[in-house]
Amino acid sequence: MADSNWLIEFPALSRDTLRLLQRSIDETFREFSRSYGQALEDFFEPLLWFMIWFERLLLNAPWWLVIAVIASCAYLASRNWKMTIGVIAAFLAIGIFGMWEDTMRTVSIITVCTLLAIVIGIPIGVMMARYDRAQATITPVLDVMQTMPSFVYLIPVVMLLGIGRVPGVIAVIIYAIPPVIRLTNLGIRLVDKDVLEAANAFGADFKQRLFGVQIPLAMPNIMAGVNQTIMMSLAMVVIASMIGVKGLGQPVLKAITNQYFSMGLFNGLAIVAIAIVFDRVSQAYGHRIQKHRQVGH
Amino acid sequence: MRMSITAMAGAAVLALANIQPAAAADCGRVTIADMNWASAEFAAYIDKIILETGYGCEVELVPGDTMPTSTSMMEKSEPDIAPELWINAARTALDRAVAEGRLIYAAEILKDGGVEGWWIPEYLAAEHPEIKTVEDALKRKDLFKNPEDPDRGAFYGCPAGWNCQLTTANLFRAYKGEEMGFELIDPGSAAGLDGSISKAYERKQPWIGYYWAPTWILGKYPMVKLDFAVPHDKEHWNSCTALAECDNPKMNSWPKSEVYTVVTPRFAKSSPEGMAYLKKRGWSNKVANEVLAYMSDNQYTGEDGARYFLEKYPELWKNWVSADVAAKVKKAL
Repeated sequence: MADSNWLIEFPALSRDTLRLLQRSIDETFREFSRSYGQALEDFFEPLLWFMIWFERLLLNAPWWLVIAVIASCAYLASRNWKMTIGVIAAFLAIGIFGMWEDTMRTVSIITVCTLLAIVIGIPIGVMMARYDRAQATITPVLDVMQTMPSFVYLIPVVMLLGIGRVPGVIAVIIYAIPPVIRLTNLGIRLVDKDVLEAANAFGADFKQRLFGVQIPLAMPNIMAGVNQTIMMSLAMVVIASMIGVKGLGQPVLKAITNQYFSMGLFNGLAIVAIAIVFDRVSQAYGHRIQKHRQVGH
Repeated sequence: MRMSITAMAGAAVLALANIQPAAAADCGRVTIADMNWASAEFAAYIDKIILETGYGCEVELVPGDTMPTSTSMMEKSEPDIAPELWINAARTALDRAVAEGRLIYAAEILKDGGVEGWWIPEYLAAEHPEIKTVEDALKRKDLFKNPEDPDRGAFYGCPAGWNCQLTTANLFRAYKGEEMGFELIDPGSAAGLDGSISKAYERKQPWIGYYWAPTWILGKYPMVKLDFAVPHDKEHWNSCTALAECDNPKMNSWPKSEVYTVVTPRFAKSSPEGMAYLKKRGWSNKVANEVLAYMSDNQYTGEDGARYFLEKYPELWKNWVSADVAAKVKKAL
């Protein structure tokens, strides 16, 4: 490599050095997995039990009850009868086409992922809005999370935690959490400075300012973030099923490997139906909480 | 006869220009299925190197998988060569295609055939010498604990959509896996299945499930194949075990899988020499395991594995080709 042609050919590390580097990284990871894998598994155990409990709840409840609960959630969020009827129709169709169980599994994992993403993501977004340095460090991390091909981090996660729900949720959250963080940050930063000044003038402390002014005013943006997070976690359903997550992803995978066109189509459409239901309902909720502002002005 | 230098040079250029494309035209453009598992990958590269350097073909590797590739070869004659096709996966369709002249079986690439079965890690077999057969293992749901349901055992099956999913599921029923308290887990993908094995191995945990040889996994993480306790019953296998609708599966065991190179007639016609080579080419599982272990240990690609093979086993591959082709390949290495 010390030849004169380094101007033409890139002076890359020699293959042996590269291999040594890769192997030492792998070895380090293996060591880490050997020493901390069990501890990590124990750490995630409560999450696993919650997910299993929630999935069984959805699976064991009578189907009409599940639909009733989902429909009333949709109505409460949107106050729109047409949408509620659409939701009921979508889930009835899913049931008629024999995809009820897989759909319930997917709905349960998406719900858990969304809740976790909100619980973890909004505080991070608030922190990013408050401290510029936090924003500067976290933004590139979010970029990596969104663009790194999922299988790159799926395999290490599987080696640490095995296959199943927990690694699946981790993979989905890594991919799906960035929008809620970004849009929380953006929403809070966009809050009118004058409004904040007014709040300060009334002697509001940090907590009052955050929960009384900033978060409510940033709500439309935060809701848009939540909405995007739901969409992205649904998009990850098929990928997650490649590490043994049960749900609509598995029949899709099966259809891909066997070229069962109709099977892939049905299950794909079921994912789309869930996505549309979640999307419309969360958007309607976002709009509804915005409405009073327009009236109030 | 005197010839001017320019004329000679001109003739030489002409001759060169003639030879090169002529050799390529003999064979032309060839597509080889680069299946997404390592043993097929280095096989594809061995064929690529030999066909390109030895026979002047213009080889393109196209990604493939058993079902899509075999279907596409039958219906569209594309790609030309599937170096490592597991025949059991689509035997009836393939046999029909061969009978109709749409496909040709070339050499049996894995001389020992592919070995499928249910395995446990070597350290576990040493620790529990009493576990020898499938039934022994299925009695121990307490040993192979399912992390998502501690009351039951975990049996890692075959990824969704693979043909082994049907056979594994039927055998799992035949050996009463469910009744013995095991859950048949769908790992979702080869990566998921491999990940579950390496996780178990790194932490010396129990593991039981489906796998196959030759593979780097079995080279790197030695495992012991469980005995099914019955010989392969071909009739029941074809009428039930291997089918999706198998109401009453009986105990059975995997046959040796025949693994052949499958070629389209188009290639056989356009390059009889290349076809002759493909009719001889093949190796034992021992060789395959060694190459796979080498690739995996060094994180080498199929191409590196192929070069390693060609350097390490000249006495093997020189039997497949004529002396002048062997010399050409040797020179290009």
